Order: sequence, then structure tokens, then C-alpha cells
Amino acid sequence: MALPPPDPQFVLRGTSAAVHALRFSCGSQEPDVPILFSGSENGFIHVWNLKTHRVDTALDGHGRKSVYCLETMGGKDRLLSQGRDQRICLWDLAEGRTAVTDSVVTENVGFCRCSLLKLAEGRWLMAMAAKALEEVQVLELPSKTSVCTLKPEVGAKLGMPMCLKLWQLNCGSQPLLLAGYEDGSVVLWNLSMGKALSQLVCHQEPVMSLDFDSEKAKGISGSSEKVLSIWSLNEQQNLQVYKTHKLVNAGISDITIRPDKKILATAGWDHRIRIFGWKKLKPLAVLDYHTATVHCVSFSDHKNPSERLLAAGSKDHRISIWSIYTQT
Amino acid sequence: MAVFDTPQEAFGALRPVCVQLTRAQTMENVARLQAQLAAVSASALQELQEYVLFPLRFALKVPGPKQERLVQSVVQCMSSVLAATCVKKQELLQELFSELCTCLSPPSGSSKPASLSEELKLAVIQALHTLMHSAYGDVILSLYQPSTLPLLGFAVSLLLGLAEQEKAKQIKISALKCLQVLVLQCDCQEHRHLDEDEAQQCGDLFASFLPGISITLSRVITGDIKQGHKTTVCAIRLFYLIVGLVMADAQLARIPKNKEKLPVEQSRISELLVHRGPDWSKSTAEKLSLLLHKMVEFSSVHPHWKVRLELVELVHHLLRNCSRSLVDSFSHLLKALVGLVNDENSEVQSRCNEVLQGIAEQRIVAQNRALADVLSENLHSLATALPRLMNSQDDTGKVSTLSLLLGYLKLLGPKINIVLNSVSHLHRLSKALMQVLELDVTDVKIVEDRRWGCESTCGPSGSLQQGVQKGRCQKKYFRFFTEEKVFQLLQQVCRVLGYHGNLYLLVDHFMGLYGESGMYRKQAAMVLNELIAGAAGLGVDVLQEREVLLNMDDLKGSIMSILDEYTDQANWYLITSIDTEEISHEHSVQCSGLTAHPGGACSSILLPSPEPHVTTRTMNSNIWQICLQLEGIGCFAAVLGKEFRLLLLSALYPVLEKAGDKTLLISETALGTLVDICEACSYDSVQSLINENSDYLVNGISLNLRQLAHQPHASQVLDTMLRHSDASLLPLVEDVIQDVLSTLDQSYNNQASTFLRVLHSVMAALDEVLPLAKPEPNNSDTEGETLLPSHAQLAKDVMERCIHLLSDGNLRVRLKVLDVLELCVTVLHPHGNHLLPMAHRVWPALVTRLVSDDPLAVLRAFKVLCTLAQKCGDFLRQRFSKDVLPKLTRSLLSQAPASARAGPVYNHTLAFKLQLAVLQGLGSLCEKLDMGESDLNKVADACLIYLSAKQPMKLQEAAQSVFLHLMHVDPDSTWLLLNEVCCPHQYEPPHIGLRPVKLSGMGRPRNEFTDNVLFLLERLQQRESATPRAGTPEASPP
Repeated sequence: MALPPPDPQFVLRGTSAAVHALRFSCGSQEPDVPILFSGSENGFIHVWNLKTHRVDTALDGHGRKSVYCLETMGGKDRLLSQGRDQRICLWDLAEGRTAVTDSVVTENVGFCRCSLLKLAEGRWLMAMAAKALEEVQVLELPSKTSVCTLKPEVGAKLGMPMCLKLWQLNCGSQPLLLAGYEDGSVVLWNLSMGKALSQLVCHQEPVMSLDFDSEKAKGISGSSEKVLSIWSLNEQQNLQVYKTHKLVNAGISDITIRPDKKILATAGWDHRIRIFGWKKLKPLAVLDYHTATVHCVSFSDHKNPSERLLAAGSKDHRISIWSIYTQT
Repeated sequence: MAVFDTPQEAFGALRPVCVQLTRAQTMENVARLQAQLAAVSASALQELQEYVLFPLRFALKVPGPKQERLVQSVVQCMSSVLAATCVKKQELLQELFSELCTCLSPPSGSSKPASLSEELKLAVIQALHTLMHSAYGDVILSLYQPSTLPLLGFAVSLLLGLAEQEKAKQIKISALKCLQVLVLQCDCQEHRHLDEDEAQQCGDLFASFLPGISITLSRVITGDIKQGHKTTVCAIRLFYLIVGLVMADAQLARIPKNKEKLPVEQSRISELLVHRGPDWSKSTAEKLSLLLHKMVEFSSVHPHWKVRLELVELVHHLLRNCSRSLVDSFSHLLKALVGLVNDENSEVQSRCNEVLQGIAEQRIVAQNRALADVLSENLHSLATALPRLMNSQDDTGKVSTLSLLLGYLKLLGPKINIVLNSVSHLHRLSKALMQVLELDVTDVKIVEDRRWGCESTCGPSGSLQQGVQKGRCQKKYFRFFTEEKVFQLLQQVCRVLGYHGNLYLLVDHFMGLYGESGMYRKQAAMVLNELIAGAAGLGVDVLQEREVLLNMDDLKGSIMSILDEYTDQANWYLITSIDTEEISHEHSVQCSGLTAHPGGACSSILLPSPEPHVTTRTMNSNIWQICLQLEGIGCFAAVLGKEFRLLLLSALYPVLEKAGDKTLLISETALGTLVDICEACSYDSVQSLINENSDYLVNGISLNLRQLAHQPHASQVLDTMLRHSDASLLPLVEDVIQDVLSTLDQSYNNQASTFLRVLHSVMAALDEVLPLAKPEPNNSDTEGETLLPSHAQLAKDVMERCIHLLSDGNLRVRLKVLDVLELCVTVLHPHGNHLLPMAHRVWPALVTRLVSDDPLAVLRAFKVLCTLAQKCGDFLRQRFSKDVLPKLTRSLLSQAPASARAGPVYNHTLAFKLQLAVLQGLGSLCEKLDMGESDLNKVADACLIYLSAKQPMKLQEAAQSVFLHLMHVDPDSTWLLLNEVCCPHQYEPPHIGLRPVKLSGMGRPRNEFTDNVLFLLERLQQRESATPRAGTPEASPP
């Protein structure tokens, strides 16, 4: 007898709008409660208390324009949010405050999520799509000093950047940027030279999301097609196609590799969340709950592995929380 | 009133009588001396003490036989002197002591006690008593030297003999009291307090007498009850005083290992002295234990309460002084003490409690491992015997047995863990509890009592109010007892365990029993609930505070694990009814429950057998199981208070599930639990509890809807939510209704009736909210199809499903659908643009219901049509007269001859019921639809024949109702029609020029229609005269 389809552990209701971004903050010790941030189409960021499963606070900082990217900057008190009001806000949430301490105006009309990388204590690098359509700008935070602007070669015809991933091999080494473009290609950028190191055409359609595992030097990307593309980076820093995986239904809006690099989750336009083994891309589960496109998936950062969770946000206004650690 | 204050004066007065007495020892002379003594002051007498005593002592020492009465008066006289003076010389004391004793000694050579008069004995005893009190300061101690041992021994044996063998109560008592003084344990406060060494020395001396004293006293104590309670009381007191002294732990601890060597001249005496070494104390303790056992057995049931009270004192005294040396005796002693807690005499009771309290406060048990072991042994043997006792004893016996158990536990206090840590103890104890707490589950009514109104559409919160007012805890019936007190004791036993015991260990153990066998599960749940209450200190009566403060996190952890177990599907979804509909669900739950725990050999044992044959007993048992678990949840809430709010996430949904259960006992208990939760978490009402946690509930509903087996429960919860809550719930509910609808879309065939109940509740709730939502002006006509308020959209969505379900094969489903449909129509009323197209779509299925369905469905369909008619009358009128009316009238007409002919059995046929339904529904519909004249005529024609007296009575009445409605629509034509059939009056034209009124009913002979027509005409007339109308007066009857 086949196992019955798994159920969400819990469903969070009450955003009253489509959910576009999710970010956990569960790493701190008791008595701090585990938290989930959610960003929705109506411009609100909800702070969910995962003990009571209720909204503790609702942050309003993007002029009721959709919030589509959320990042924590060390703990639950510092939050970065990106909205369709073309602003990236930095929040101070300590001791019950709900203040925007700083903001970056992107002037970008697209919906490319920014990417954040911690360089050292209190210093971050942030990549974001810039005002000029094809360009990516890299800033240092919190100083907001520009590090570089990455322009494709003239005539490259990459189109707009669609998704970004800043990474470094290990602490202190040279940060690099992976960017997925409108034409379906993924480009590896060297930040110090401002130069593209390698380019790989992974998809026929725009790259919607990508994630990268720096240990295995392997990444995965999804687009509006029925294909997941897995690619690797060789020692010459060349991107190569490693494998592709056919999907039943088209359209992937988000991909996340779990921090332990064992599994990954995709958010599908077909309302489903799919779980794969990262090593061989073995399909492990199809999580079927939502009644509309799933926009984002996120893994929690609980210290205790057995408590770790997966959250998915959907157009149907709901956030489903899954406990899949034990099942994989 | 001393006359002679100075020694000189006194001497002058006393000298003659003394001299005279010395010369002649006669009673008269003694009496004279006695008389003179009264006139001498105490201080003067003190100076002359020896002088006065001399002739008296001389009188006793004169050789040869003496007159008893003389001796008695001499002794009495000595007493008077001694009472007024102090003995300041050691020699004098010893001599007097010895001389007095000699008075009672048997004649030399005889071993039998002297056969003296009772008065003499009493006098001597009293003299001894007085002597002991008159000894000055340290002088008394001179009596307690090794060298005086023989003398003391003589006195002791003399007094013991009197105490045991005399008949007279007074002598017995005096002898015992005198002994008490002799062993320096006098009750009066005049004596000098002995220091440690002196006491030790006395202890050494008295040790020699201990065997004799203890054996004799035990004989006295267990002797004939006729000796009077005072004797027994005195003997008990003396017993524990002497034993408490000789066996005192403090003294024994100071005894050197080897016997001290006494000087040579005392070596013979030293042989008599006892060395209270370990061997001696051990063997003595053993012997005493036997005696104590006998005494305790005897006096704990002594009819006089003062004896029992003294027994309490005995235990108290020995426990305080000899808890180590006599440790083996405490098994009996504590048993007696604990047993006397429930003594019929309140003084004994309260003293007993005081003593127990004192024991606990002084931590006698806590600091004495051996004593704790004794107690735990007692507990063990009691636990072993408990099942048997519970089987055989009557309720009073059970009460005393259980108080004993409770007493042991309370005495053990924090040391309970010694018992709990022993597997065999815990096992015995828990098995005993499991057996005693077995419920009586034979009551058939439990299964039969169904929640009323769960099918009906009564007020949404009616059942709730009822539940709240009922008692919280359901009265339980046990197999082995009926007395409420027995249950209270058992509760206390569990709570005390929870209070002092290691909670993890206990919860773990009883959870094990809970899972071990269905036989124990209910009892284990009961125990677990009480343990938690006890651990939290709720309603627990203990003797001492616990040593370790309660850790809230531990308690919470235990509660959470119990809660998980209780609400696990295998324990929560039990078969409680043979309602086929429910049973099939429950079974599917259990199947999925099994797959959820693969390889669970245990779970398959737990589950009731999946055979459809379930006995009432099993179901009763399951019902109680669920109730106990619900009560537990209520108790956990009470324990955690506001902290329980965090657990509502997982606990509220299951409770609400049961609040909607069809078994009355379960739903009532669940409502009680909800009230408990409200109180604990400070919610004002069940309504606000549900409202403020609707997100949790909706989450549960939505997730449970995903599993076929749980769908009925999910809908039950939603149903309960809606019944017990208000409009504020609707936004969230609307969200989940979409889930319900999509689930329904996937499973029309098997779950329809379950979901219809929910849809009904939802629509009923919407219907109630409607008046609140109304204020917005109804401009939907201009809005067109665009913006529909969400509740109306919901109604539309539900209506959509109703269309499909209207032709369901199951009549019950069809009836329910018609009800829901009617509510949908009501909710959609203000939105005509949406209602009309829906009505259009519903129409074909509705027509089928009207024209060819079960009579019940026909009737309800008429009702729906009436409601529909209020909004879309025009639309319906046409269709009705085209699609439905011809068929209905045709069938009415064609059936009429058959029913007119039929006998009484016809009333049970389908044809009859159909006729009746159509006739009952037609009238009001005609009125609501405002039908045209020709249609009305058709109706009237078809119904007229049913006014015939040949028709069954019910059909006649129904036909009457049609005409009554028609009167409202068109009174004139109805009047005319009726008069055509039968006209009771002659109508004279008001003017000769007018033609006479000619109605075809005139002058007809009485026929089958006459009665009904006349009745209707009368009603018509009443109506007309009540509402006078202008116009056409000539047409109306006068």
C-alpha cells in the first residue's frame, strides 16, 4: 500500500494576498520563538510566530506594492525586504521596533530577487538588478557603497537578469555571482574584474530561479519550461550542463537547496511543491496542497534537524508548512 | 488552719499522742495522732517529721500478727505526714519505701500474694504514691541505684500483681499510676527533670523490669473489657512510657559495647543489671513487637474511644522516641494510626491527624529509611490484598482499606519514590488501582442517548447552553463500589502519588498500562488525569510539602505526551454507535490509523476488532474512554491555566470534534471540557474561545478534509464551530468552505450527506448574518454580474452543488439538499441578477422533485418553490403553469376516484402520501406565485373533488387548505365556485326588477360535498366580515 500523500503540518492563513517571499529565522535559542517572515502582494511583511502559528506583527514598508524578496541579516532582528515599489528596505525589528533604518532605490522595473552574501560580521554584499535593463549592480551593505556594475558584452542579448546568486567558495575567498537571464542562460560573473567568466544556455525560456551548491560546484535552475537544468562548474570556472530533468507540468517559480545539501524543493506553477534528492535528482515527493501557483519555497534554519521545516507560499494566499525532514 | 505554728507548740501538742502510740499500738491512738496532725502547720511538722513517723513505723515493725485495720490506719496516717512534709534523707526514704512495701508482702514462705483487704492495699499504694512525691530533690535518685535494684524490683512486681489480679478498678488504676511514678514518668509537673546521664541510668535499671512490666501490662491491656476503659488507658500509657524510656533511640545509641564492671562488692547485683547492647535491644524489640501487635489489634477496635485515643498517643510516643529500636513494630503501629484517621470519634480523628501531621513535619519518615521501608512493605502487602478486599468488602470496608492506603502514601510523602522505584511495588499498586477503578459499562442508555437536535435545524446555540449548565464531570459507575467516598479516596490516592511521586516515572508507567490492554485503558486514563491534577497541587490533601518544587516545563512535557496519546487516532476515533453511516467512517479511520503506524503489533491489539459485530458493552466502554480523555484535557487546561493556550493548537480541534458527536454523553462531556478550557485560558465564553482560535480550527478542518476517513469529523467540527459562534467567523470559514466544496466535488457519492450538513450549517449561519449585511443599498441590478458580496458568492457556489445533488439516489440527501437550497435562495434574495440564472438552472431538477418523487421530497420542493416565488415570481409563474401544474392537476384528478373508494389501509400507500403532499403544498404556492385566473381555476377544479366526504379525512383537510389559500387570492370566484356546488342560502333580489339570483348549488339535496363547502363558506364569511371591502357588494353574500 502506497503511503498516503503527505499533509502539511500546518497552514498559515491571513495574509489576504498572494504570498511571494518567505524567510525563516529559527536559529536562536529559547525563549526566543521561531519565526517565519512572509511577504505578500499587498505589500505587507507578516512576522509569524511559529509557536502560536499566528501573526505577531505586520510590517508595512513598500507602499502596498508586492514584497517579493526577504532576507535576514544575522538573526531575526535585522531584515531585508525587496518590493515592487523599486525599493530594498533594511528593517530594525529588535525589541519590538518596526522601523525601516535604511533603503536602496533600485529603479528596476523587473521582479528579479536580490541576492545577499555575508562577508564578515556586519558586512554584507548585495547583488540586485539595476536601472539599466541588462545590468546587475553589486553594493556593500550597510554602507551602500557600489562595488561594481556588471554589464553584459555589447550584443550579448541576454535580456534582463531574472535571478541572482552571490556565493564564495569559503570565507574570505573571492565572491562570485551567478545570474540567470531572460534568454535562458546562466552567467558566472567575477566581481572584482566585473567580467563574465562563463556563460551557459540552460533554458529556452527565461530562467525563473536558480540555486547553487558551492561545495559540489553544482547548481540547478528552473524556467517557465517543463525542464530543470543541473549544471556544474569545473576548475577552469566553466559552466557545463550536467543533467536535465523533465517535469510533468511547466513552470518553476522558485528553487531552494536545503542547507544540508541533501534535498531541494521547487515551487511549481502547477500548484505543487516537489522534493528531489540533490545528489541524483531523484524525485522524492510531490506535495499537493495549494490551489494556485506556488511562488516560493524556503527551508528553516532550526538548530535541531528534527524540527526543521519547509514553507511554501502561494497565490492562494496560504502558506503551507511541511515537516519533511524525517521523510527524506 | 494550723493552730500550732511553731515547732515548739507543735511538739507540745504531738508529744503526748506519740508517746501514747509508742506504748500502745491501737487504732484509737493512731486516730488521735491523726487528729492532732490536722492542727499542726506544715513547716512545724517538717521539723518534727521523724519524730512523728517514729511511733507509726514502730507500729508496723512490732513483731507478730497485726490487725489489718490498724495497719491501714497507720499507713494512712503516714501518708498524711508525708503529704505535708518532704523526705530529706536518703536512708529515711529507702526505709519508708521498704517498710510500706513489706505491708503488702505475703507472709514469709508463701508465694501467693497476701490476702489483704482492698482498703489496706489501696492505702499502701496511695502511701507509696505520696512517698514518691514527698522525696526532696536529689533524694529520690538514691532509690535508683544498682544497690536498690532488689527493692525496686520487689515494689514493681507487687504493684504489677495488684494491677493485674485485683478485681477493684480503683486498686488497679492506683497501682498503675503508682508504677508510673515509680518509673519516674509521673504525669504531674512537680518532679525534677532528669538529666541525660540520670535518665540513662534509670533506663539501665528499668531494663531489668521491662519483660515483666511489658508482659503484664499487655495482659492487662488485652484483658476483659469489663475492667473499664480507665484501667486500659492507664496500662497503655504506662506501657509506652516505660518502653519509650528503656528503648529510647537516644539512650541505646549511648550504650557502650561492653558491660561496665562494677566494684566487686556489687557483683551480685551487677548480675541482675541488664546491659542494653545491640543483641539485647534486638531481641527485646522482637518480643515487644509481638506484644505490641496483640495490643494494637485489641485496642484499635476497643469500644471506648479513650482507649483508641491512647493508642494514638502510644504510636506517637514510640514513633518519637523509638523509631529505630522498634522499627519492626511500626508496621502494626502505623497501620493502626493511619486506620484511626477515619475513627468514628472526632477527637480520635483530629488527634490522629495532628499526630500524622507532626510525624510529617518532623520528617520522621523522611529521615528514617528503615521506617520508610516498613511503610512501603505495608503498602506492598496492602496493594496485594487490595483487589481481593475490593471484591469482598462492603463499601464501608473499602473506605477503611483505602484510607489506609492513602494514609501510607501520605506518611511516606516524598519517600513515595522508594515505592515507585521498586518495580514490584509499582506494579502491584497500579494493578490494584486498575482493578478497583474498573467502570461499569453495562448501561445501555449511554449508547442510546443521542444528542437531540443534531439532525434538526434548531437554533444554533441551543445545545451549547444546555451543555454548559450541566455538571462538568460525568458521574461514573464502578463495578466494585457505589459509594462516592470510595471514589474520592481513590482520587486522593492518585493525586498524592502525583504530588510526591516522580511524575515522569508515573506518567510513563500508566501510559504503558494505557497502551497495554483495552482492559486497563479507561482506568489508566482516569489515573493519569488525577496524577496531573495532583502534580499541579490541585485538590490534593497532603501532610507535608514536597521536597522539590514542581517544574512547570516537566509538567507541560508530561501533559503534552498524554495529550498526544489521548488524541492519537487509535484512541480518539472509537466505535461508539452502530449507526451504519458513522461506523463506516470509523473503520476507514482505523485502517488508515494502522498504516500510520506500520509494524505496530501493539496497535492492532488496541484497536477494537474491525468486525462489524460490536457489542453495546464495547461501545459503552469506548464512550467512557473518550469521555475520560475529554475530562483529562479539561483537567490539563485547569492545571496549565493560560499556558494551555499554546496547546490549543493541537487540543481544541479534537475536543470540538467530540462536541459534535452524536452520543449525548460524549458531546456533553466535550462541552464541559470546552468550558474548562475557557475558564483556564480566560476566555469569556465558548463562543470567544472558538472565535479567537478559529484559525487553528480552520487549519484542522482544511487538513482533515484531505483525508477521506476524517472528512466526517472535519465537517462535524465546522458544524460545531458554526453553531457555537457568530458572524465574525465567516471570513475564515469562507476560506475553508472552498475546501469543503472542492472535496465535495471529488466525492459526491459517499460523503454527500456529511457535507450537506455542513453546507446547511453554513447557509443557516449566512442567513443569520444577512440582516447585518443588508444595510448596503440593493443596487445589484446596475452592478450586473460583477461584484457579489463574498457570502452571496458562497451561497451561489453552494447552490451550484445543490443542482447536482438534487437528483441524488438517497432520499435523505435529496431532502437535505432541498433544505440547503431554500437557504441559498434566501441568502441570494437581494441579488436577483444572480438568483434568476441559478433558479433557471435549478428548475429542471426541482420540477422532477415536484412531479415524481417521494411525498416528503414533494413537500419540501413546494417549500423551496414558495421561497423562490418571493423573488422570481414572474419567472416561476409561467414555468410552473406550463411544466408542473398540468401534471399535478392531472394526477390529482386521476387519483381521486381511487382514494374515494379506498379503505383505511390506503393512508399508508405512497399514492396517498403523494396526494396529500401536493394538496398541502399547492395552496400556499398558488398564493405566493400570484397565479392567473385560469390556473387558479385548474387548481380549484382539481381540488374540489377532494372536498368529498368520501375522501380520506386528511385529504379533505388538505383540500380545505387549498381553498383557504385561494380565498386570499380571489375570494369572489372562490365564493362563486363553492356556491355552485352547494348554496345554503336563498338570495332575494333587492328589487323586483332584478332577475332572481340563480346559483346551481341552490336547492340541491345534501351530498358528499355539503359539509366541507359549508365549512369553507363560513370561513369565507368570517374573513369578509373581518375585512369589509368596498365595491361589488352585490356579489358578496349578505
